[in-house]
Amino acid sequence: MDFANEFIAVFFQGFYNNILTKPEFFIGGLVFIGYLLLRKPIYDCFGGFIKAVVGMMIWGVGAAGLVNTFRPILAGLNDRFALHAAVIDPYFGLNAASEAIKSIGMSLSWTMIALIVGFGWNILLVLFRRYTKIRTLFLTGHVMIQQSTTVAWLVFFAIPELRTITGALVIGLLVGTYWAVFSNLTVEPTQKLTDNGGFAVGHQQMLWVWLTSKLAPRLGDPEKSVENINLPPWLSMFNDNVISSGTLMLVFFGIIMTVLGEPYLRVLDKAGFPATLAFPTYIISKSLSFAVYLFILISGVRMFVNELTESFRGLSEKVLPGCLPAVDCAATYGFASPNTVLYGFLFGAIGQFTAIAGLVIFKSPIMIITGFVPVFFDNATVAVFANKYGGARAVAIMTYFTGIIQVMGGAFAAWYFQLYTYGGWHGNIDWDTLWPFFGVIMEYAAIPGVVLIIACMLLIPQLQYRNSNKEEYFNCGQEEGGFGA
Amino acid sequence: MLKVVAACGNGMGSSQIIKMKIEKVFKKLGISASIDHMSVGEARTMASNFDVVFCSTSLTGQFTIRNNRTKVIGLINLLSESEIEAKIIENGLK
Repeated sequence: MDFANEFIAVFFQGFYNNILTKPEFFIGGLVFIGYLLLRKPIYDCFGGFIKAVVGMMIWGVGAAGLVNTFRPILAGLNDRFALHAAVIDPYFGLNAASEAIKSIGMSLSWTMIALIVGFGWNILLVLFRRYTKIRTLFLTGHVMIQQSTTVAWLVFFAIPELRTITGALVIGLLVGTYWAVFSNLTVEPTQKLTDNGGFAVGHQQMLWVWLTSKLAPRLGDPEKSVENINLPPWLSMFNDNVISSGTLMLVFFGIIMTVLGEPYLRVLDKAGFPATLAFPTYIISKSLSFAVYLFILISGVRMFVNELTESFRGLSEKVLPGCLPAVDCAATYGFASPNTVLYGFLFGAIGQFTAIAGLVIFKSPIMIITGFVPVFFDNATVAVFANKYGGARAVAIMTYFTGIIQVMGGAFAAWYFQLYTYGGWHGNIDWDTLWPFFGVIMEYAAIPGVVLIIACMLLIPQLQYRNSNKEEYFNCGQEEGGFGA
Repeated sequence: MLKVVAACGNGMGSSQIIKMKIEKVFKKLGISASIDHMSVGEARTMASNFDVVFCSTSLTGQFTIRNNRTKVIGLINLLSESEIEAKIIENGLK
């Protein structure tokens, strides 16, 4: 008996040290099991394992590069101006939250457990839709990784006693409820936009999609669409994510490094800035290396998310008949003219730059740096819906204010949840408004606060159902028939 | 074997949706294909290495093709198998 106990103890210790604290093997193992359950041939299971592990290790390389490039600049800003800086972008946020989680001795495997719990909880809520009134399954893999990681940090930060396996379950329930409830909230606006396209939005601005559908009709006239507006042709260059990210990094870090000054940086970064190198060359190569590590990180995330999504696919296809897949916000862009997306990006960027100027003028202790994903994809999504409900005027007003709120909310969150230490915050609009609010509630009300948040979220679809045409509620968007059909 | 790439803004979410959908439609139509997915930024520079580029209609303007092999197909509803099937047939891929 003793021997058996000892064996179990050793086994779990080994599992903990070699698998749980090595998230790449944890994910690789999940993919392997997922593929086995899909009855794929064993060489496919092996291939999936390798790609998931390599993908996660590539992510690690990108993350380490970002951290190392960022460290002297963050230190410099703090040292010279007592200023903190954070990029508001989900990848920088993912990076910052994972570093923070590691810094308190937790591993990313906890966030992966949370992701699986969240996905399973979403499935349960859909299966019991007669009672829960949930009609959507959240399927956007990379967003699920980012969101579980950020929520994990919020919970670990706000409620230290949940830094355990129970905590991972709580995080899963919390984020899974958000996925189910808020994607369900986008069903009606998305069906109106896409003419019953058979999907919902499962991304980072679901609250905002709903809010846009309510506010935009009051802000303009849908007949006066963005379609009739001509935009300067160079603007379409920002559709290219390499150009957009590179330009943003060049502008923001260029300014920061110029302000820090050549003599200071020569002392601070001796190895990277030898006497033979001119200051402009240093600035350009240093700024663009942020874009480089960002793309390394993204390609790693893409590789393992691809395998993870593939291995969850069998399960989701079984659940999907009778409900709607909630997918990436960019799936809505085909239902608007191409310049709608750019028009939203333009006004969102103006809003963000206005707010950043405000932070500088009023000497905020936190500087915000615009990241590509929120400024582009949130505002493009808001634009597409605002255009449908209120035309060009609604697009301009909604995205301008979205841009301002992104910066203000992001600055608050990066400061309050201390992620400025790692130079990033999630930064998408729901994560600059709803989630910081949830985070503050959790800090003050601890576990009862979590229960309250989940209960309040679950009430939303009930209200939606009550205010809807009850006969059509469950049929909305079913003709085209989602993923499974 | 058809070489296909699905592209979207950041090469993450919607290009993967397109990929999964076209895989399914190709299988149904009996077309053998290898399908990659990536961002528009990456796909723009590599488009001529592929036979077909699938993306949202809002992004087709990003591609300038200088050969007479590569086709760029814009989709309105990325999740609609009937739209994908119609466009595959329309473009003579089968």
